Amino acid sequence: MSTRRTDREGTGLSRKGLSSGTVGLLGAVVIGVSCVAPAYTLTAALGPTVAEVGTQLPAIFLVGFIPMLLVALGYRELNSAMPDSGTSFTWATRAFGPWIGWMGGWGLIAATVIVLSNLAAVAVDFFYLLLSQLLGNPAIAELTRNLPLNIATTLVFIALACYISYRGMETTKTVQYVLVTFQLVVLAWFAVAAFVHVADGTAFDATSISADWFNPFAVGSFSAFAAGVSLSIFIYWGWDVTLTMNEETTDPERTPGRAGALTVVVIVLVYLAVALATISFAGVGDGDLGAGNPDNQESIFAVLAGPVMGPFAILMSMAVLSSSAASLQSTFVSPARTLLAMGHYRALPEGYGRISPRHKSPGFATVAAALAAAGFYVLTRLVSENALWDTITALGLMICFYYGITALACVWYFRAQAFTSIRNVAFRFLAPLCGGVILLVMFVKTAVDSMDPGYGSGSELFGVGMVFVLGIGVILLGVVLMLVWSRLNPAFFRQEVITRGAASGR
Amino acid sequence: MRYTVGYTADGRGHDAVCLAVALARRQGASLDLVLVAPERSAYSGSHPSDSGFDDLLSGQLHTWMDQGLALVPEDVPARGEVVRAESDAEGLIRAAEDAGASLIVIGASAAGPGSRYSVGNVARGLLPASPAPGAPAPRSPRRPAPVPRLTCAVGRRAGADDVVSVAVTSARRRGLPLRLVALLALDAGREGAGAGGEAHRRLADAASSLAAGGQVSVETARGTSVEEAIDALAWDEGEVLLVGSSRLAQHMRIFLGSTAARILRALTVPMVVVPRTYESPGTGTGTAALQTQEGV
Repeated sequence: MSTRRTDREGTGLSRKGLSSGTVGLLGAVVIGVSCVAPAYTLTAALGPTVAEVGTQLPAIFLVGFIPMLLVALGYRELNSAMPDSGTSFTWATRAFGPWIGWMGGWGLIAATVIVLSNLAAVAVDFFYLLLSQLLGNPAIAELTRNLPLNIATTLVFIALACYISYRGMETTKTVQYVLVTFQLVVLAWFAVAAFVHVADGTAFDATSISADWFNPFAVGSFSAFAAGVSLSIFIYWGWDVTLTMNEETTDPERTPGRAGALTVVVIVLVYLAVALATISFAGVGDGDLGAGNPDNQESIFAVLAGPVMGPFAILMSMAVLSSSAASLQSTFVSPARTLLAMGHYRALPEGYGRISPRHKSPGFATVAAALAAAGFYVLTRLVSENALWDTITALGLMICFYYGITALACVWYFRAQAFTSIRNVAFRFLAPLCGGVILLVMFVKTAVDSMDPGYGSGSELFGVGMVFVLGIGVILLGVVLMLVWSRLNPAFFRQEVITRGAASGR
Repeated sequence: MRYTVGYTADGRGHDAVCLAVALARRQGASLDLVLVAPERSAYSGSHPSDSGFDDLLSGQLHTWMDQGLALVPEDVPARGEVVRAESDAEGLIRAAEDAGASLIVIGASAAGPGSRYSVGNVARGLLPASPAPGAPAPRSPRRPAPVPRLTCAVGRRAGADDVVSVAVTSARRRGLPLRLVALLALDAGREGAGAGGEAHRRLADAASSLAAGGQVSVETARGTSVEEAIDALAWDEGEVLLVGSSRLAQHMRIFLGSTAARILRALTVPMVVVPRTYESPGTGTGTAALQTQEGV
């Protein structure tokens, strides 16, 4: 046949690389901050975390970073040794075999599906809040409490984000810079305005900052501590992206490390400033605006932005809405690609491994992720009194689960190399081992505690806490699906597709 | 001579390959099947960032490319190419420019039934920016038919000389009969029949001066609308229509004017849209043979 094939993929990429594609230090920090989405994260997690640890919020925010850092270091090692679309799924399968690998993948998918539903819900809350602020009609903000309307709007948001992701459209550099700058400016504004109120004596419940706030050992109980840490894993979730950026950066040797460090400094400063400002302004009591009031905890900025920022509260609504909407769209990529990898390796029906010929995106998997997120949201919203709160807590649980598995997969996969150099001892053994153990301990502790019907927001199903039902229920559902699929198509589970392996010792 | 074919592993891609094969056979052209893959933006904010998807995607792209090349019959030389670009249109244009292609063929049929042509998104993005003539492919018959005749349609407006000269050159190179058609939509009102006669005369002049001795016929198609005027024409199986780009287009670019868009909707044969002030396939590279032809 008179055909010749030239594949210019390489030149296509380098052409991109030479022009606008490479990311410098600032760009990498912007990407890191955008993945963390601080405005969304704070509004979703600040309340539930205060509920657990009270004034020790700053301490928990600081401590919570440690397991994230440890796990991310292991994550980076795995990513450079086995770059794969399945990430946790593929790595855990290589290290521990198909069964644990499958559950690692399921944990990642479940976590991202849960966060998708939460992102959409937060976006909807702030969408109505923004509308009410624009039109000067407070009644509109209350529309989000109208259950059918809330569910319908959330489903529309999920569908839109799914469509954009399916079409393979991505946020561009300029948009990302604008979104990130805007978020940081508004959060700083919020913190400064809150402190000004405290200084002027116009704060709701002025509470003076004490050194005790930074002492993690002052947290009342280990239960509260575990819950706080698993929530703060969520607030740093996404930060690890900076460490895994290699070929995209101008200086692969140094940029990712520096960007990771700089990103975490920015994020921690913002989190501390906002945490201190919030508690100083509102206290942790359960009064009208108190950060301890369960009504305020599911979305702290929706309540506090008005009293703190006055007419400029609309900026906070815009910041949270844009941050959660952008994350909603970009987060779709993650479960879709893991589903794609699982379909590709026949750990799921083949359809999941299909790539859309027109858009070159994991079409089927993206739609499946959207349906799961929509279903999860509807279920939670119908059963739970405080869906946002419970999903965030369940999410913390799920992230601990799959990050824990991933970190231990790193230790096990590299076991033959662990002691061949000091670098390996640190990055391939100690860091992921400590991180993985911490996360799995947090996971077990939180899971056991959450069986109590009074846990989290206090919603329950059949006498068991809602968080437990959501978190462990989803994991058990995964076990069932895995067993069913292993009967239907055992190829993956017989290791005919991916085999267990380990890095050879050198 | 090379044709760039926008290939996707679906019905549209199949249409594009079929049309490209039909056009290339008489012209002795070779095909570049181009698959455009999205450029991965580091700024997309996807979490976690995974380069692994690219591996799965490139495996899939290679499989698709093999399938695409298998659609091309033995007698037409073809090769495959994967291009990374932000949009399909951008990737195709870049590939066409790099290859010095004299035609870009893309699938343009819509998903649903109805008219054979409905300008798809890619075609809409590509045609306005294309530096080379663009051929949006309609839903194809099973086998690509050989091209029996070229038809070149011009409207009432001036500036049709470019497309007429491209048509004449192409017809001569392929040894094909050429039909020049003046399209007259009478709903435009007052200019009416007088304009028709004038357009017809202009075409006849062009025909005699440009293609003395060739098989050239001149027709006038009338109808209350452009669609009707198109319907009034008799078409041979596999015949190709050449139309010019709107005068609104920039130099060397296509602007799919409202008339061309309406023609596209009513048409039952493949169409090639020629950019404004585009000279003739290949003359940009200045090969001697073509210059001689231009000199006639």
